Amino acid sequence: MNFSLSEDHEFLRDSAAKFVDEQVDLAPLLRPGADVSEAGYDRLWDKITELGWSAIMVPEAYGGLGMDYIDLVMIIGEIGRTLAPSPLFGTLAGAWAIEAAGSEAQKMEHLAKLAEGMKFALAVADENGSYSNMETDVVAKQASGGYELSGTKSFVVDAASADKLVVSALNNGQKEYFIVDAAADGLKIDILQWRDITRQVCKVEFDGVSAERLEASRDDVWPWVRDRLYLVLAAESAAGIRAVLNDAVAYAKERVAFGRPIGAYQAIKHQLANIAGAAEGANAMVQYAAWALSENDERASIAAAMAQSYGSEQYKEATHRNIQVFGAIGFTWEMKNHLYYKRARCNAELLGAPASQREQVVRLLERQAA
Amino acid sequence: MDFNLPGEDDPRRIKVRKWFEENPDPTYAQLAEQGWTASNWPEPWGVGADAEMQWIIDEEIVRAGLQLPYTINAIALNQCGQSLLSYGTEAQRQKFLPGALACEEIWCMLFSEPSGGSDLGALRTTARREGDHYIVNGHKIWTSVADQASVGVLVARTDPSKPKHAGLSMFLIDMKSPGVTVNPIIDMTGNKNEYNEVFLDDVKIPADALLGKEGEGWKLTMEQLQTERVGMTKPGVVWGMGPTARDLMDGLIETGRISDPLLRDDAAKVYIEGEILRLLTYRNMTNRINGTPAGFEGSAGKMLSSPHGQRMADIAKRSQGAAGMIRDPDVLPLPDKKWGMFSNWDYAYWFSPANTLGVGTQEVLLNVVAERVLGLPRDLDPTARVPFSEISNATAKAAE
Repeated sequence: MNFSLSEDHEFLRDSAAKFVDEQVDLAPLLRPGADVSEAGYDRLWDKITELGWSAIMVPEAYGGLGMDYIDLVMIIGEIGRTLAPSPLFGTLAGAWAIEAAGSEAQKMEHLAKLAEGMKFALAVADENGSYSNMETDVVAKQASGGYELSGTKSFVVDAASADKLVVSALNNGQKEYFIVDAAADGLKIDILQWRDITRQVCKVEFDGVSAERLEASRDDVWPWVRDRLYLVLAAESAAGIRAVLNDAVAYAKERVAFGRPIGAYQAIKHQLANIAGAAEGANAMVQYAAWALSENDERASIAAAMAQSYGSEQYKEATHRNIQVFGAIGFTWEMKNHLYYKRARCNAELLGAPASQREQVVRLLERQAA
Repeated sequence: MDFNLPGEDDPRRIKVRKWFEENPDPTYAQLAEQGWTASNWPEPWGVGADAEMQWIIDEEIVRAGLQLPYTINAIALNQCGQSLLSYGTEAQRQKFLPGALACEEIWCMLFSEPSGGSDLGALRTTARREGDHYIVNGHKIWTSVADQASVGVLVARTDPSKPKHAGLSMFLIDMKSPGVTVNPIIDMTGNKNEYNEVFLDDVKIPADALLGKEGEGWKLTMEQLQTERVGMTKPGVVWGMGPTARDLMDGLIETGRISDPLLRDDAAKVYIEGEILRLLTYRNMTNRINGTPAGFEGSAGKMLSSPHGQRMADIAKRSQGAAGMIRDPDVLPLPDKKWGMFSNWDYAYWFSPANTLGVGTQEVLLNVVAERVLGLPRDLDPTARVPFSEISNATAKAAE
């Protein structure tokens, strides 16, 4: 039993913290009416590539850093804490799909490009946001020299920034995975008016788009990738809870009403103490899930689903409390409180609601008991 | 990072198990000779076990069919006994610890009073020095196991001229002393009493019953409550003890009640909270192994575990519907009846309102977390700095 971070983990976290604290600037988003186009979405990418963050999890054999999920959550936590806009989520998602569905040769070819700054996105959900979309999914047809994809995907994170899209599609009724070039003919990408303007979320339409089939496609590619994306969102949430707690605590110490700082009143301090409990719980669960995924532990899927449902639900609550503690000023666009509130709200829907992850937990437990 | 617990083949475990094979049905006195009733204490009382070794020893004690010593003599072995190691005299250690470690002398904690539990520092029981004795007068309440205890850990006011926290001292008293009267309190469960009230009328105690120095009572009390709260940061239904949400989930799955759509999601929520508490227990173990100070779980774990236990017991009841409103018969299975009186969801449920009352109300704990962890301003206490003897209802009213 050793539930503590190593010095290497702490070093990685601290250097990531230094980077985002110096580089992330949310000010352009705090001008009323701002949208994701003003987030400077690709501004940090060269540096992120240089730091190797997009390839941190990729095995060394494919040109990555071969680090583990605990290392990953050190970085994602800092990204989440500062809401750093960047196409890292989409790139991780696409890279994981290639890792799960690609042949050795395909992994060699595509994953090695992460080191050169290649950006991916992963398109799975349909226009209704459903991931169990056998009826509505994009269709793949064999064509000369490969495949052609036709249909519509939505809720594709980072598609407009990506160089390549990994796409699930039905090939003779089987769900398989394909890679398309973001600049390919017949591909149309629209950025959605996603409420979380620190994240780029897109709709993608395919009209006979030329595609390369990932040779090792199999049924459990999406669940495997999804568990990892749960971890990413949960790590963002855990760090975000801590961030909005710290902001609210600082404000409660400064803001005076009825002759005392508002943080002296139990109505405020009890809310903040409860958020502190949630922050601790979410962080513990993220680190456990990261360990379980790194070890391929038998409880890894349960851990990932628990982390995402608890983290996103508590993040929602904490960001709402944060606005309540700030009072009406926290309700204005020029304050960053709403950016966290929106990130939390969107994180709790992007991959399915917290209740859907709890349902997964119960089903996994039922299967274990059977 | 590693969440694996010591396995069946761990050499440390094999050694402990061998002793139990060679000594079937041991007494607690025999366990105490091995240093296993408080294994984390230093020798000669314990074996200086780190958190993993303590985990192994506890598991093997349970495996041998015995109740864990610190659940039998909790006040001595968990909360208060260690204060003797740091603050007691050698004579006090020799007098009190052997009987406590053998679970032959049960201790109780004479802290709360009718006039105040949350504001413990305002307690009114006095200990007046007279020659080589103290004379104690007062009224304690909510004292667990006082009716079985031979030793009472008493906090009393030795100097009313000092502000309330500064005038307190701690004593180890003989519960059989003349003037000590123990009355059971029947709580809302209707079961055998957990709590008692204790009257102290001109109880004469020797001066060497004082633990530490006069005026150190508050410091010792806070340390002991802190230890007690850390011990409560476990996933069990009542103060960390008893069945956990894993047991609840097992029972709901086994009976098919988990398929009730009105219950399923709430049961999953409680399950996840339980897993978080389990993780905080592991972090506490790690900190103890590494010798790092207790983290958040030290001050705030009970804040999470108390309402969690209430929600857990509520799910157990909800799964039974009206049948759960009948006394005692548990429809939900708890195959492993290893938790003493809490091996019964019915009792756990009707007891659970105490979760957020005992060892500091939930509201007081939220204050503690807000003030000590988050650094928010302290609550106002107009009585904190005036001599205790000058505090009157008029002072309190004037501060309104």
